[in-house]
Amino acid sequence: MIPLLILSPLILLAALGAVWKARPVHAALLLALTLALVAVLYLTIGAEFIGLIQFMVYIGGVAILIVFALLITRPGDEAAELDRRPRSLGVGLACVLPVLGLLLFAFSKDLPTSSAVEANPALPVQALGRELFENSVPAVLAVGVLLTAVLIGAALFARETGDKPEPPASR
Amino acid sequence: MTPLPLLLTLSALLFVLGLFAVLSRRNAILVLVGIELMLNAANLNFIAFWRYGPQDADLTGPLFVLFSIAIAAAEAAVGLAIILMNFRRTRSTDLNRLDSLHG
Repeated sequence: MIPLLILSPLILLAALGAVWKARPVHAALLLALTLALVAVLYLTIGAEFIGLIQFMVYIGGVAILIVFALLITRPGDEAAELDRRPRSLGVGLACVLPVLGLLLFAFSKDLPTSSAVEANPALPVQALGRELFENSVPAVLAVGVLLTAVLIGAALFARETGDKPEPPASR
Repeated sequence: MTPLPLLLTLSALLFVLGLFAVLSRRNAILVLVGIELMLNAANLNFIAFWRYGPQDADLTGPLFVLFSIAIAAAEAAVGLAIILMNFRRTRSTDLNRLDSLHG
């Protein structure tokens, strides 16, 4: 419980930074920090395997991919993004606050907390592997097919096509 | 406060922050950052309910998280490839410039 109380505000602060920072690189690095802190949270509440997977896939894969994409593309007009702040902030808050209210309302109803005083045992990795490769083999194969398709698709999308870049719009 | 409501509140706030990024950012890569935050919030919910939910819970939660992480990685790869392809055409990652279908 104590690690939870320490980690939760840190996760929220890092996520807030990832959402708020105007510089894209800062936002991407704060996203990596958020994902790492969530992985640490998994480690502390007994889902060690999921935490390690999160470290490997999210930090080692997704976050690095995003940082590389930011390196390849131009940083973009940060000033323009700052210009739009008040308006986009208002629109964003107007859409987001009802969702937050709805989620908190849903989570405050009928939680099975009475039976959850004592936590379930920590994640048994052997049982998870058994479940994965005995009962969910079709799903594993489907994910394999999906990842192959993604590999080919991403390579096709990102290849050099020889298209001329459009002239900048005159607006 | 027991861990379950705390974790659920944390994941609701994470989800909302991601949604806010998706709605308010103009840089396509930063919209993707918001989507990753939302996926993480969903994963956190799966883990929270598996760990602190009813006692006879089986391993469905962690299984779902494993598949969800794989699909999130695939989504990030395809999304960034599309953004790069578009960047090569328009020299920009600004979503407001993706208006060629605008009548």
